[in-house]
Amino acid sequence: MQKPMPSWLYHLIIILLVLTSGLLNAQNLVSKTSGPHIQVSLLSNLDTIVPNKPFYVGVLLSPDDEWHTYWRNPGDSGEAPVITLSSESSITVGEVQWPVPEAIPVAHLVNYGYSGATLLMLPVAVDDKSLLGSQVQIVADLSWLVCKEDCIPGWATLALSLNVATQQRESEHVEIFERTKQRLPDSITRAGSFEVNQTHLVLQFANITDDDVFSLPLNANDVQANASGQHKWYAFPFRSDVIQHAAPQQVLHDKEFTRMVLPRSDYFDTSAVQFSWLISNGQTGFVLNTDINREQGFAQNSADERQPSEVLSFQELLAFILMAFVGGLILNLMPCVLPIISIKAIALQHTSATLLQKSAYLLGVVLCFNLFAVAIIALQASGQSIGWGFHMQEPVVIIMLAFLFTFIALLLLDALSVGSGLAGLGQGLISGNSASSHFFTGVLAVVVASPCTAPFMAVALGIALVSDPYVSLLIFNALALGFALPMTLLFASSRFSRWLPKPGAWMITFKHLLAFPMLLTVAWLVWVFLGQTNAQLQFLLISMLIVFSMLTWLYCLSHKRVVKAVYIVFAALCIALPTYLSTSISVSQAENSAVNDADHSNKAKVIPYDPVVLQSLKDDGQVILVNMTADWCITCKVNEQVALNSDRVKTALAPQNVHYMVGDWTNKNQLIFDYLSQYKRAGVPLYVVYAGNQDKQVLPQILSPNLVADAINDALKKSVDSVPKDPKTQP
Amino acid sequence: MFRKLGLKNVFLVFATLAISVAASAKVNIDQAAPDFSLLNSNGETVSLSDYRGQYVVLEWTNHLCPYVQKHYDSDNMQSLQRKYNDKDVVWLSIISSAPGKQGYVDAQQANELSDTRNADPTHVLFDPEGEVGKQYAAKTTPHMYVIDPAGALKYAGAIDSIKSANPADIAKADNYLDLSLTALLAGEKVAQTLTPPYGCSIKYKG
Repeated sequence: MQKPMPSWLYHLIIILLVLTSGLLNAQNLVSKTSGPHIQVSLLSNLDTIVPNKPFYVGVLLSPDDEWHTYWRNPGDSGEAPVITLSSESSITVGEVQWPVPEAIPVAHLVNYGYSGATLLMLPVAVDDKSLLGSQVQIVADLSWLVCKEDCIPGWATLALSLNVATQQRESEHVEIFERTKQRLPDSITRAGSFEVNQTHLVLQFANITDDDVFSLPLNANDVQANASGQHKWYAFPFRSDVIQHAAPQQVLHDKEFTRMVLPRSDYFDTSAVQFSWLISNGQTGFVLNTDINREQGFAQNSADERQPSEVLSFQELLAFILMAFVGGLILNLMPCVLPIISIKAIALQHTSATLLQKSAYLLGVVLCFNLFAVAIIALQASGQSIGWGFHMQEPVVIIMLAFLFTFIALLLLDALSVGSGLAGLGQGLISGNSASSHFFTGVLAVVVASPCTAPFMAVALGIALVSDPYVSLLIFNALALGFALPMTLLFASSRFSRWLPKPGAWMITFKHLLAFPMLLTVAWLVWVFLGQTNAQLQFLLISMLIVFSMLTWLYCLSHKRVVKAVYIVFAALCIALPTYLSTSISVSQAENSAVNDADHSNKAKVIPYDPVVLQSLKDDGQVILVNMTADWCITCKVNEQVALNSDRVKTALAPQNVHYMVGDWTNKNQLIFDYLSQYKRAGVPLYVVYAGNQDKQVLPQILSPNLVADAINDALKKSVDSVPKDPKTQP
Repeated sequence: MFRKLGLKNVFLVFATLAISVAASAKVNIDQAAPDFSLLNSNGETVSLSDYRGQYVVLEWTNHLCPYVQKHYDSDNMQSLQRKYNDKDVVWLSIISSAPGKQGYVDAQQANELSDTRNADPTHVLFDPEGEVGKQYAAKTTPHMYVIDPAGALKYAGAIDSIKSANPADIAKADNYLDLSLTALLAGEKVAQTLTPPYGCSIKYKG
């Protein structure tokens, strides 16, 4: 019979086992290892840490001479190290702090990495206070790749034990942590933008000025570079599918911005709208987050690669149609619309209306909305970026609407005496009871409603404008039905019209009152007009509106036919004068901006873009460089700085028969839009060199001085060859 | 007139590319894949154009590269070769390692490698000058391309979605080559036509 083990012995064994198991575990995992051509160790800047106070754990990768490890984006080949920290205790681990890498050429490829010993630090905090007085073990699961030309992958699990106390103590490795911090990017992340074309990416960010000193100490060379403003910036993309890593990067500075021209990767993701970069001068650097230049981005998408229309689900479509319908209802309450339909509603008589009379208003509204929809779809198909109220960008339309609204206000105020014919006209058109008058009211209501975008409508229209044509039509028709519903109900049924207040003298007062929202709309239109033209023209427009009002009033006073005709002619002139001047002003404005953009020494040579002038120059066998640019276009700025303002190009542009034509697409206009569509472009830059009518050459979107100069000289040769020699100069 | 203009544009684009991106070709999905003729491991000349009418896989390889080893030691690459051999797909393994550099082998060694690794490519081709590699802008081993029966490039990039040398990741990754070929053989569009390749740099000459 065996004697049972005494319980004290049993307990002792258990306790020993527990104690040693922790110890054994720690001993199994070392803090250092070595693989072929590399030594790897796990370090901390502290050997005694305080709970909840962050410290650093770092993985020191020490490759042999000439061997290297990789940055977060390894470049053309290779692989970034992967570090996963864990602990049985509760810890918080931050992101790897990647020091500024170097570009390491391998044959004709480039890798981003570190050729010397590199410490990859991670901020860590121990959350568990109960560890005070004991130790915390941090385990690192690592994988790395070390390469010379050949590459050797490695894996290891290392561990590090740190004391936990109320007072922290630095470890023997603190110095390498401090040294590594000097090699980290600046703590401030900067913002910039980028643009993409078929071959390149262009980055733009505000200059790093002398005042904008890095929070990092610069070495003597950097200070010098800072002083001269000549940083040798290099852009390291975080992603490996953005740029061609081996391609040279071009860096440009102007007063405000630094721009970098980077050949784009074969694997470039055209749907990306945001990229992060490390911009480095070799010693230090900063992180730059760039967003796509929306102006350019939109143009690119609409033409080059039209994005597939978003497919709306049936429910979504239904929701949008409902929204459009409600938006249409709300439109009735807009200050420009309400007066017109109020008059109509009040004057409504229900004396055996025919079906045509009942539905004429609805027809007018629906037809008008569909015309708008078709116009928008057609313009969109041609690649133009337009939206609801696109016609409001035309000063001529603004002028016409201003006169129309003024006229309606006069009608409402009864400024036109009864029996003058004009009043009858107004009466007939707006408040008459015939089918054609209802129809016209519908059309008029849509026209005046068009500038007032009800908030509901904006979303639905936005969807319509980016969707298939049939979706646009559905939404526009829902809008039309919503818009027409209240009035159509009144027309259709006397039950609804009974809800209207009883007619009486108050109606006259109410009608007069409604004139004022109309005049308010005129004030708004005149303000819009100022944005499109200038103060002088605005003054002229206001004067003409007043003269027009006076002429209308005079017309009604007069009884002689000849005098009436004279008034009509003058009234027409009132409308014609600002219309004419506003169309000519836009040209001279373009002239101003074009001249401002160009270099001063080129000033005399710059011709603002005009298709007529271009054609006549071509007919004369002249050489013309056409430059379509915009203030917001980053690529355009780069090309101006690098190529168009270079001495080589200026020399090439110097001959008498060479002309430089600049179109400014900053405030999109139709003339330039037409030109761009000729070349199937929806945006700038666009550069074309003409040799008379003989030849034309579309230049790439990234220019070099030689490329432009050669194209001009080439065109010169062609135009000289083709122009028949002047008989007088023949021997 | 218009055709002339088009040609000139193409020329200009190429000229600029040549200036800005020395020695780097362009990978153009849905465009004609550049034709080439290389010697195979049996000393015969093989041209891409020989295989018009069939799908062709180009695989840049280097048997000493750990990323290639990941896919060969796990039988991943060979099983893809076998799978698509059965579907009449041509598989060309191309070695662009220059003589004296890692991964360079002679014809006999290449055949031995195929035997010992149980690999089954249609041909192993030698590109010691690196010209074909540069034509295709091949960067890493492995770097995979798929060309359709009309000779148009349909896929270029990584073999799968997890950039590592760890064979354990193969099962977890999306195999882009397999997905592309499956889609193409089913008459569908390739979902991801371009992915950044990963692996060892190709040991080009110079």
